[in-house]
Amino acid sequence: MRLLLWRAAFLGAALAAWEVIARPLNPVLYVAPSSVPGAVLRLLSQPDLPPLAEHLGITLRTIAAAYALAVVVGLGLGFVMGFWPLLAQAYEPIIAGLYAVPSVVWYPSLMLLFGLGPASKVAFGFLLGFFPVVLAVLAGMQQTDRHLVTVARSMGASRWAIYWKVMLPAMAGTLASGLRSGLALSTVGVLAGELLGSRAGVGFLINHVYNLLRTPEYVALAVLVAAVVLVIDVAAGRIEARAKQWSG
Amino acid sequence: MRREHIVVRHVTKTYRTPSGPVHAVEDVSFDVYEQEFLTILGPSGCGKSTVLGMLGGLVRPDAGTILIDGAATDGPDPRAVAMVFQDPGLFPWRTALHNVCFGPEVRGVPRRVREEEARRLLEAVGLKGFEHKYPRELSGGMRQRVAIARALALGSPILLMDEPFGALDEQTRLLMGEWLSEIRARARKTIVFVTHSIQEAIALSDRIVVMTARPGRIKDVVPVGLPFPRDLSASAAVALRARLWEQVREESLRAMTEGQG
Amino acid sequence: MERVTVRVLQGATLAAIGLVWEAASRGGLLDPLFVPPPSAVAAALGPVAALALPRLGETLLKTLAGYAIAVGVGVGLGLVLGAARTPREVVMPYVTALYSLPKILLVPWVVLLLGVRPQAAVLGGALFAVFPILVQVVGGVRDVEPILLTVARAMGTTRWQLYGKVIVPAALPAILASMRVGAVFAFVGVLLTEMFAGIRGMGFLMHQLALAFNAPFLFAATAMISVFSVATVLWLAHWNRRLGAWR
Repeated sequence: MRLLLWRAAFLGAALAAWEVIARPLNPVLYVAPSSVPGAVLRLLSQPDLPPLAEHLGITLRTIAAAYALAVVVGLGLGFVMGFWPLLAQAYEPIIAGLYAVPSVVWYPSLMLLFGLGPASKVAFGFLLGFFPVVLAVLAGMQQTDRHLVTVARSMGASRWAIYWKVMLPAMAGTLASGLRSGLALSTVGVLAGELLGSRAGVGFLINHVYNLLRTPEYVALAVLVAAVVLVIDVAAGRIEARAKQWSG
Repeated sequence: MRREHIVVRHVTKTYRTPSGPVHAVEDVSFDVYEQEFLTILGPSGCGKSTVLGMLGGLVRPDAGTILIDGAATDGPDPRAVAMVFQDPGLFPWRTALHNVCFGPEVRGVPRRVREEEARRLLEAVGLKGFEHKYPRELSGGMRQRVAIARALALGSPILLMDEPFGALDEQTRLLMGEWLSEIRARARKTIVFVTHSIQEAIALSDRIVVMTARPGRIKDVVPVGLPFPRDLSASAAVALRARLWEQVREESLRAMTEGQG
Repeated sequence: MERVTVRVLQGATLAAIGLVWEAASRGGLLDPLFVPPPSAVAAALGPVAALALPRLGETLLKTLAGYAIAVGVGVGLGLVLGAARTPREVVMPYVTALYSLPKILLVPWVVLLLGVRPQAAVLGGALFAVFPILVQVVGGVRDVEPILLTVARAMGTTRWQLYGKVIVPAALPAILASMRVGAVFAFVGVLLTEMFAGIRGMGFLMHQLALAFNAPFLFAATAMISVFSVATVLWLAHWNRRLGAWR
């Protein structure tokens, strides 16, 4: 309880300090916290600004599409490779190698291939989210408690039964972590794509107000996006914790 | 005269490791009679777990034969043999009940039948009321009892136990030993039990097979012949203990000096 | 035997992809304007290298600068926060929240602050890298076994000695790991800032090539920088193993 008070006090002090420092300085560069709520209202109501709700919806739908693709392909590839260890041995190093490349490197190529529309954002979001998912599936399979497999074998379980009834449940925790990372990365991918060049979505909106030098609105949008991302990640974190507990 | 349930003849096993071959077991031969409690006793690293693994079909011998009911073993056969290990190996995502159900489940036993049997077995091991607990909610002794119930659910006439009480504290260990003796009287199974504890061996077994240090060979086969309930302070028990200790001590020292203990 | 099979499988798959790609692109199945055949990409490697290597050098310099700042702040602050229990518990939730914030949202402000100049890219790189480093260092310091600290204190060490002789050596694996991770993040931060703002460098070059629809050059540049990244990661991993061998 006392900790909570200290944390609130810290936040209050930080905001107050920021306010005091920013007030006398160039308002375009240094946005005082007090100007943000007004900006939020303007974003929601002013007709000369693109509609916030609509663009937020576009971004969320793009993220959903990118993530869904990443999950389907990631899980599919991961499970196929997991069932045939030879495939995993051959292809995991290649995938891990590709993962070592900072994903932003791929983005210009995707832009060229898919244009500035939603397709390139979905592609980029997919690319970022795919790796944690597929690598988590492979890691989960390799890290299955060997003893549990021995126990199942001693009870005469077939290879298929061991796969479904022992390995899969045992790796639920690792898988949930990978899925959570994948979601976070897909989100970042879509946002980055929108910021670097797009005609719709929250990233476009941020670009728009930024180019108009309306920094309070920019800060308001950034805070809003951050809040949404945080909420999604916390929810994903809860699910991950549950899965970890369940699979031991 | 009881007949042989398990026949082991000239069994040898050598493991290939990066640091050279390990001769775990060499030319081991013994019989296990129906419904007897046989303990394999020996120092750490003497190959007793390897022998058990071969009886259970998890490890293939390099030489020799193992016959169960007259037939050679080829992989795990849950209809004939059930195993319990030192690590209970309960599936953390399944309740006690569903852990016990696992064996019948993979064999296609219908749900109602297997759940009823699982309930019965959990009650038999003294865990009535704990059916829906997860392994993390159970103590070490309870988990091992669930593991035993799970092995019993396979309905096999032979039970192999590899130091099942090794990870438990002293008191729990003794209680589990007493409990196993009681269960054994009712269950009428053939039990092969591995331990390095002489006390446990004397308290539970009909016969004790003493193994040498690596490479593991049979040093002696000792009949126990004491009445149940076992009184470990009786003179016969004390004499037996001394005799076994002498043998095991010799082998333990050899194992330690050769860097195995 | 298995190693050979694995290598054959890898080689065969890559060769198959390459052949199918070449055929599809030449045959018109894939529009060669968007997807040039591998042969065209390979041919572009030479000219691209002449163009891109100087830009890559500039980007790497900025990365190094941003990385140095991030390491200084991240490790320094991390060591302090990690060891001081109450400030850590008060501040960490905010740090974690900032950590999970997509750093790219900060890039426009950085550019606004420092202009379309290399310094903006440096700050971008520093911001991207500082959070993972900080979080990991705090974790590493926090996880130092208390018994080690107790023993040291019982032998009368001063605060500085405790840091230097116990905390830093014990947390060193985590510190080094965080520095490895931070390098990649700094690189990403610099590239993203260059792309967003149009600051001269590898990021900007690639963005320009994309907008100019110069697919062979762009793909060649992408391949170049990918190989470079993988090589760097492997090199860093090798050093991590060498330095961590005492564990």
